[in-house]
Amino acid sequence: MRRSTKTPEVMAISEHELSAMTSDLDQLHHDVGMPAMHRAIDQWNEKTRSSRRGFLIGAGAVAGGAILAACSSGSSSSTTTTKAGSTSSSSSSGTLTGDLAVAGLAASLENLAVAAYGDVLTAAGANKLGTVPPAVATFVTTVKGQHAQHAQAWNSAIVSAGHKAVTEPDPVLTPVITADFAKVTNVTGAAQLALMLENVASQTYQSAVSAVKATSSVQVAASIQPVEMQHAAILYYVLGQYPVPNAFNPLTLARPVSDFQS
Amino acid sequence: MRGRLKERRQSAPDQQAADPDPRAMAALLEESQDIHHDAMTATGDSLAEMVESGLDARARGEIDPDESREVAAKRTRLMTGAAFGGGLLAAAGIGAALQGLFASDAFAASATDVQILQTASSIEVLAVSTYKTALTLPFIGGASANPVVKTFATTTMQQHSQHLSAFNAAITTLGGTAQTNPDPALAKVVAAAVPGLTGPGPVVALALELEQGAAETYVADVAALSDANAKKVTASIMGVEAQHASVLLAVQALLNANAPQLITLAPGNVANLPAAAGSVGFPEAFFPTDQARPATEGAQS
Repeated sequence: MRRSTKTPEVMAISEHELSAMTSDLDQLHHDVGMPAMHRAIDQWNEKTRSSRRGFLIGAGAVAGGAILAACSSGSSSSTTTTKAGSTSSSSSSGTLTGDLAVAGLAASLENLAVAAYGDVLTAAGANKLGTVPPAVATFVTTVKGQHAQHAQAWNSAIVSAGHKAVTEPDPVLTPVITADFAKVTNVTGAAQLALMLENVASQTYQSAVSAVKATSSVQVAASIQPVEMQHAAILYYVLGQYPVPNAFNPLTLARPVSDFQS
Repeated sequence: MRGRLKERRQSAPDQQAADPDPRAMAALLEESQDIHHDAMTATGDSLAEMVESGLDARARGEIDPDESREVAAKRTRLMTGAAFGGGLLAAAGIGAALQGLFASDAFAASATDVQILQTASSIEVLAVSTYKTALTLPFIGGASANPVVKTFATTTMQQHSQHLSAFNAAITTLGGTAQTNPDPALAKVVAAAVPGLTGPGPVVALALELEQGAAETYVADVAALSDANAKKVTASIMGVEAQHASVLLAVQALLNANAPQLITLAPGNVANLPAAAGSVGFPEAFFPTDQARPATEGAQS
């Protein structure tokens, strides 16, 4: 990734101080956030190990939202085999229903985000996006890592329930994002595309909070949704837009489970 | 959301080639809209459904508020502990404990939800009053204020006011009493901090503490609430508070770096930001709940 070579003098100090602050926060994340999340995932996994049906309590009993609609219509779809993407070798085999189907959708969205940010880094490295500001480079690298952690969290539950990890991206959204990214020629375009992905993710998680049944599923979705919205806030700022545009986060971009089950 | 996408295109016409394919996106959005409502509609629907459940609850008779308070406190402790730091609870079999709690005859779902929502309202009351106070300060709401900071304080105060209305509407539709008083514990923190608000830094730090606490409380609440519609309302708000916190983290970092001139929405400003500014606004991959307020802290006695 090409970085701006011209940096205001004041930023020599700013960079140092901000780096120190970021380092502290990163340490806090690893000391507090990650162990806590691992405990939640461990609990989740223990639950699914003790009862493969434990994670599926919600099938057919959810109410409201996209995931609900997909899950409900899938009462007959409770036996739908997950197939997504053209790379069948990495496809999850077996049946994901109820909360696990939501986990599959979430993992596929996270995979798409990881891939998209990876493409941005590759394009930037090939000088296809023009000058990439240092803050944008940090943003992309950090966010890509967080999305990978989110995917890992969801896949942890899926694998624990005896299924293969979901390694493919959302099959419905991916062609759209791929086509859009092919037209991106600069950082602004990449940021706009990333913003859409973050909003899709946060709204899907928000829908999931109401759709899943197991408390641990709600907790995982609820712990990720605000982080995706924070990514979006910074992207708004990068684009010169007001960073908190809505008092209530909408659901219009939430993806349905049928994405993952198509 | 369509509107926002349109606005973005209009504000950056030179980036048209980089925009998402409008036809493909329109198809996806149309599909989504067959299934989803927008945020306000969802919130409105949630509240409407809560009216029904509230009426049902009232028809069944009042529930002992002391009992509900105890249940609410226990439930939130369990929910928070289950996800974050609940080693002992997990070892004791938290799943079974929760199932037993929820299945008990004594479990007063609506009343417990009301107390959780009253605490949320009390946090919003305090947030509104804190931003209102901050806006009286010359360096936040006056002539010497950074325009972005001033806009943020004004807009955020309005958004918290909307959250307060939503929570209180949820409370009343569940048969409870709207909460118009601030969270008593947090109010003491704010009162103690006010004399020290001598510059933007302390104000941002105080606001950040409130926003982070609010966001973490609501993240814990969505797992603790039993009413589906109360959960939806709370879920639509929790990420917004997290965004407030994100902005404040970025502003705080730039203030601490003595670079207030970079707190601007001017086009191209991103090129001047230091690298670390790209990640300071979202320090954790999973939002914590260790600063979540106790469920009944702001409930009416």
